[in-house]
Amino acid sequence: MRTKLGLLAAAFGLLAAAIPALAHHAFAAEYDGTKPVKVKGVVTKVEWMNPHIWFYLDVKDDSGKVTTWGFSGGPPGMLARRGINKDVLKTGDVILVEGFRAKDGSNNASGGNVTFADGRKVFAGAAEDQVPATKE
Amino acid sequence: MKWSLTSLAGAFTLFTLAGMPAGAQTTARKAVPRAADGKPDFSGVWAGPGFTHRVGPNDTDTPSVTNFDPKNWAPFKPGGEALFLHKLTGDERHDDPTAYCLPDGFPREALSPYATQILQQPGTVTFLYEYMHFFRVVPTDGRPHPKDVDLTFMGDAVGRWDGDTLVVDTIGLRPWPIDAFTTGFVRYHSDALHVIERFQYTDPTTVALEMTIDDPKIFTKPWSQNFQMKLHPTWKLFEQICEENNRCQVGHCEPSDVQKTPK
Repeated sequence: MRTKLGLLAAAFGLLAAAIPALAHHAFAAEYDGTKPVKVKGVVTKVEWMNPHIWFYLDVKDDSGKVTTWGFSGGPPGMLARRGINKDVLKTGDVILVEGFRAKDGSNNASGGNVTFADGRKVFAGAAEDQVPATKE
Repeated sequence: MKWSLTSLAGAFTLFTLAGMPAGAQTTARKAVPRAADGKPDFSGVWAGPGFTHRVGPNDTDTPSVTNFDPKNWAPFKPGGEALFLHKLTGDERHDDPTAYCLPDGFPREALSPYATQILQQPGTVTFLYEYMHFFRVVPTDGRPHPKDVDLTFMGDAVGRWDGDTLVVDTIGLRPWPIDAFTTGFVRYHSDALHVIERFQYTDPTTVALEMTIDDPKIFTKPWSQNFQMKLHPTWKLFEQICEENNRCQVGHCEPSDVQKTPK
């Protein structure tokens, strides 16, 4: 519980520090900026590929049902320019991800903000992605 | 007499000051990379206008979408605003064709938050744009544009040297979004767009880029916006493939194999 609270606090800190939203239509074409999503789960797969990386998370709900969420991050090259390489995310990592749901309502989302169990935070999104807003 | 001495002193100071910039200029001339022909050499991998230039450890930089700022625009011609600002329709082929992996086109390509490699040879400057693998091969031998130019995404570019400034002049651009702005409206330039880029070193790893937008069907006169480019000695261009794993193209997501497996 303590860890969970810490994680939430860290996430809040991350939100506060988030870069102001800069919508790009490639983002708006695919994700709904009014439907934020915030889930915690275990990384089951990472696709460090163009045009954007994708990573998948097994998320267990209160009833124990597991859903696999897909999150889109930044382009591999764009992340590399910021010093983020593919070693940053590994299968088995427990992470908290925040982003916005895909427009088609599937279990896919943009995944701009990633917080690791140890509190490390990585902004893994693309320059054009909308980032969860600073409020609440 | 006193007046005269002061004047002399003033004149001496003036002389010294006048000499300073010349000396400083010589140092700057030596400091910036130079090609064998004495021209500034822009060869290298650059973070162009689409970066914040907050250079971090290990030669990092921060990509950031950059657009043209309305405060720089010249007044519209009658009807120009309607030509330039297109209301979003909900069809990405119109609102943002890059959502379908169609090209950025120039000048939006030059503003993309991806790297640009410049290769300079006598008589030619080549721009390799990382985003979608576009390029511009710009002759700098003083030739004019061809008389009959077909409209293309990247246009027809010719270059020349104005002292230590590389000037690139581009025409022949098909009407297309001029930048990545898509809030309520998308900004389409006309087929008369003429872009003038002026590249000038301000220090050995920094270039000031002044881009002039001359679109006489839309604006009453040309206008300019200033950008910065930073040389990144350790960078190389990455592959950037729009279609490789474009899982949610225009909002329709393909499930990945791990999402198809029942839990």
